[in-house]
Amino acid sequence: MATNPAESLDVHAMIADSAPRPRGMWVWGFSLSILAVMLLGEFAASRQPNLAATIHGATGLATIALVVAAVVVAITAVRRQRAEQRAVAVLEERVQLNRWDEAIALLRQLLSSPMRLPVAWAQALLWLAMALIRFERFEDAIALHDHLLEHVPMDPATAHGVRLARAMAMLREDHLVDADRALSDLRRGGATAQSAGLALIEIYRDIRTGHPAEAIDIFESRRDLLRTQLSHRSADAWALAARGYDLIGRPADAAAAYENATLLSSPAELHRRYPELSSLEGKYAPATLPAGVA
Amino acid sequence: MLAVESAIGRFRRDLTVAAALRLTLLGAAVVAFAGGSFIPRLNTPVLLLAVMGAWMFLSYRSVRGSRLAAMSPLLIAAGEFDQAEQRIDEALHSFSLFRTVKLLTLHHLAMLRHAQHRWRDAADLCRELLAQRLGAVRNLSRSTRLMLADAMLELNDLPGAFNALNGLYSERLTLSEAMNLLAVQSDYLARIGAWDPLLDQLKSKLQLVELMNSPNAARTQGFMALAAKAKGDAALATFLRRRVELLIDRQELLSHRPLLAGIWEGSSDEKKNESNETNQEIDPQIDTD
Repeated sequence: MATNPAESLDVHAMIADSAPRPRGMWVWGFSLSILAVMLLGEFAASRQPNLAATIHGATGLATIALVVAAVVVAITAVRRQRAEQRAVAVLEERVQLNRWDEAIALLRQLLSSPMRLPVAWAQALLWLAMALIRFERFEDAIALHDHLLEHVPMDPATAHGVRLARAMAMLREDHLVDADRALSDLRRGGATAQSAGLALIEIYRDIRTGHPAEAIDIFESRRDLLRTQLSHRSADAWALAARGYDLIGRPADAAAAYENATLLSSPAELHRRYPELSSLEGKYAPATLPAGVA
Repeated sequence: MLAVESAIGRFRRDLTVAAALRLTLLGAAVVAFAGGSFIPRLNTPVLLLAVMGAWMFLSYRSVRGSRLAAMSPLLIAAGEFDQAEQRIDEALHSFSLFRTVKLLTLHHLAMLRHAQHRWRDAADLCRELLAQRLGAVRNLSRSTRLMLADAMLELNDLPGAFNALNGLYSERLTLSEAMNLLAVQSDYLARIGAWDPLLDQLKSKLQLVELMNSPNAARTQGFMALAAKAKGDAALATFLRRRVELLIDRQELLSHRPLLAGIWEGSSDEKKNESNETNQEIDPQIDTD
């Protein structure tokens, strides 16, 4: 069996170690130093009028040296911030392309010391949460999502995505009461009609709790929304619908839905995401892939 | 709505004013330092302090424009075009000592016009940006070229699209840029009937397509289906067509890319559709009779 690269991730330590610390005190340090140099220069020049020109020259030189040092420090800080942003962008690419070993190595590196930008930190934590879900560490994923929702300011769309991922992790971990509460909160947020993510999780909840007819109702009434918002990930909804049709004894619909699901996504990936689909394997034929694609 | 010509005019004027101000401040700093030897009454530290104070004040004023500019992409992505327009207008009219803020603002205006499907305006703004020295924001050139290529395709200007795309092949692209390039490039190749390059490295391309939003994923696979059909690979054409059908409404797809009607020609679905249309034509006669 392949080793789980996320197994040894210490989530709580990673959050604590990577939290951004206040930086920028150096600006005040440089400003006060420049002011002090100037005041001392003026004081010295007033006490030694015959040396005023020399003192002013020296003060000017010291001021310029301090300004140059401040500029160098600022440029270095900006470069480090840009490098951090680039690293987070690379992390996103690794996750999206399912290059998990590289993604987790990068997460370890990024989250081992305080990050510079709060936004980059929040993004890195979101990708960490995704990695935890991918490797089925649902309890840690829930804890991380709770931390994000409580402590990290996010725009409404991102917060909605985090709540959805948290509800999904709760369902996978069999925290059904918590998941139901989380879904109620999401519905209260007014997102019911517009969120394909919420529809997908509700379908999954109904399949997991043995209510296939309700799952199919949601699937059929939101099919356009699922297609529009989830693109190829609408394969998940088709696959869960196939399970629903199978459970209520509509094998022809189940076969068609399973074929559609496997047209959009690989059967292996769908079965990994939803263990409930294992009963469909062998019972219904996946889509046939042409030679150039298989 | 911001007129593109006046936005570009203002942008150029602001860049000139900001450059003149930066030069003036730099000149004053040089005089403060070097002039001490020639002008006996010149107080170097005080003049330097004044220059620094002016620089800091103007930088602080520039932050406002920078903040306004930073908000716009989120608003555009959320489809809140009116608010985005207002922010961009404010950012364009606010003072900035730095070129990057103005360049970013113009880029956001190009993004907005592109999202609004105002292709001519988007193309003009992209050309203006590409004509500038981008410096610290040189990575804007890639997304600008992609937008320009897309706008050119929408305007049916194939040589223009080719020129815009041409500069991108030697660049290292991000994942999202690579996805956009694939979408635009597939559109271009299908229009010129370059079927072989459309199907090159198909597996890697499909991996990228699966990360795209529905309209782009459907269009790109539609163009690939056209190529597969033209090359006589019926199995691949059917596979890709069925994926397209699962991703987007057929009428919606054809309203934007009528060329893609070709993927249904001769398919069983097309025959079914034709027979439905015939029935619909017959039915009213039956009612009337």
